[in-house]
Amino acid sequence: MVGRLAARLGEYGIVLAAAVILNFALPRALPGSPLRTVAGGESAGALPTETQARLLRSYGLDQSLWRQFLDYVRDLANLDLGNSFVDGSPVAEAIGRALPWTLLLVGSSLVLTVLIGVATGALAGYRRRVGKGNGLLSGALLLDSIPSFWLGMLLIALFGVTLGLLPTFGVGAGFADPGDLAGHLVLPVLTLTLTGFGQFFLVTRSSMLAVLSADHIEHARARGIGSARRIFRHALRPALLPAHTVLMIEIGYLVGGALVVETVFAYPGLGRVTFDAIRAKDFPVMQGTFLVLTLTVVVLNAVADATYALIDPRVRRPAVAT
Amino acid sequence: MSVRRRLEVPGLIGVPILAFLVLLAVLGPALLLDNDGRSPVAEPWAPARPGLWLGADDVGKDLFAQLVVGSRASLFVGIAVAVLVTMVAALVGGVAAVGPRWSSAVLLRLADVVLALPTLPLMILAAAFLGPGVGTRVLLLTALTWPGAARVVRAGVLSAWSAPHVEVATAMGAPLRHLLLRHASYAVAPLLIPIFVRAAMGAVTADASLSFLGLGDPTSPSWGTILYWAATNGAFLSDAWARWALPPGLAITLTVIALGLIGVAVEERVNPLPRGVR
Repeated sequence: MVGRLAARLGEYGIVLAAAVILNFALPRALPGSPLRTVAGGESAGALPTETQARLLRSYGLDQSLWRQFLDYVRDLANLDLGNSFVDGSPVAEAIGRALPWTLLLVGSSLVLTVLIGVATGALAGYRRRVGKGNGLLSGALLLDSIPSFWLGMLLIALFGVTLGLLPTFGVGAGFADPGDLAGHLVLPVLTLTLTGFGQFFLVTRSSMLAVLSADHIEHARARGIGSARRIFRHALRPALLPAHTVLMIEIGYLVGGALVVETVFAYPGLGRVTFDAIRAKDFPVMQGTFLVLTLTVVVLNAVADATYALIDPRVRRPAVAT
Repeated sequence: MSVRRRLEVPGLIGVPILAFLVLLAVLGPALLLDNDGRSPVAEPWAPARPGLWLGADDVGKDLFAQLVVGSRASLFVGIAVAVLVTMVAALVGGVAAVGPRWSSAVLLRLADVVLALPTLPLMILAAAFLGPGVGTRVLLLTALTWPGAARVVRAGVLSAWSAPHVEVATAMGAPLRHLLLRHASYAVAPLLIPIFVRAAMGAVTADASLSFLGLGDPTSPSWGTILYWAATNGAFLSDAWARWALPPGLAITLTVIALGLIGVAVEERVNPLPRGVR
């Protein structure tokens, strides 16, 4: 258990290091002066030479790459993500304001995605076993093919504009009015859940099918164990293991999907921040967002990883091959 | 009869849809259009009428022309990325399976890191720095999506390597080249088709997402950039949503579904697992 934990921590460390290195290298790997992307402004090349030199010096870009990297890491350690090109405000503040909203959206969508995906997948696996149709399968495959942002637009056109049932824009008064906030969350969460649960559905369905034809289920039947207990305790629990693997992949997808869906709903999270940064070519904001999202995904993965022991008792015991 | 039919039904639906879309992309601009959707041909927000089948956007550009011309960019990115990912996966997966131990360790660790990074945020960052060119886009999507496919190939080669007849050939001293081409390739090649299909599905969606966020090539229409402009102009809040926001999204969905159906049909054929277990 301890060895497994240490190995995991090492992997997370490598992923974070890769994100930091990418963030450092991307603006400097391009042809032309790094002024364009590090210090802002497409027109930096048109400045007089001595102004350029002064700018380079003020951003530390005249130092050796190694020196620059150490400075960059030191700034990161101080939670300094640089300043926005647009208004010069610290990037960390803007991200700090937006992050809770994104976490709220990703968190609630993740819980619903897992619950709905596993429940429908187990049901479809069971029904396939007893010889009924594949309607759920077709539905899941269809939803899996729809781009999330486009589904969001359709839901706005349907529920917001045509039916006038739900708010489609922003988060209202925010946490000050939880009921109103919940109403604003319905459509974005629905969009992410509908386009995300397909993977859980497919994996749970096939592992449920496999487990239901395993010997121990037949044996449980022979011992006279009731069908509810047989399905939930004897079949569903081992069938959850492959679904848990999908969880890790799905977290990354969901965070990315949230970025795009947020822009459709004018939701004040990191997606909105990214969208505005893209339009303004505000590179420090994009870099900061990428780092914070990588950290978010790593932390969520670590949490998900810790829950593995809840469904697979084998990893809790030492000295058993897993 | 039922086995044969079940194998082919998804393919029977998927192949014609994809063929239609490819034909539209290749021949559509020449046969159906009198403009390329890049310059205004009507008044802004013109409603649909004969000859201007989907009306015009906020500056009067022909939306139907954009849809047809845009199919080229969207499908090209999908197919190009799929070709590259399949090649990289075959190479990397093969080396990771039978190459020297250090290369396998390095490649697998690299694959793990790329898999663990949040793909879309990284794509956004890289696309913003590297610019909107189609070639850049294809290389970027390939660089970020090969690891999963490479793992599948590696598993396939490893399992082919432990097949009895390959073990016999190895014991008889067959050279690596012979083992790969003569034996392993028959087991691994069928795996490459689903890999190709999945990579194309992922690339079409990812390309649309990036373009939708404003990272598309502003000079050439694609399904994603049409949606970007539709969203920027609030087209889905107005009556124009059915002719502006609906068609490109439907086209993306149709492409992905068609590819998915072909993938299902192929996978049923090449998947060695018994039918009930899938």
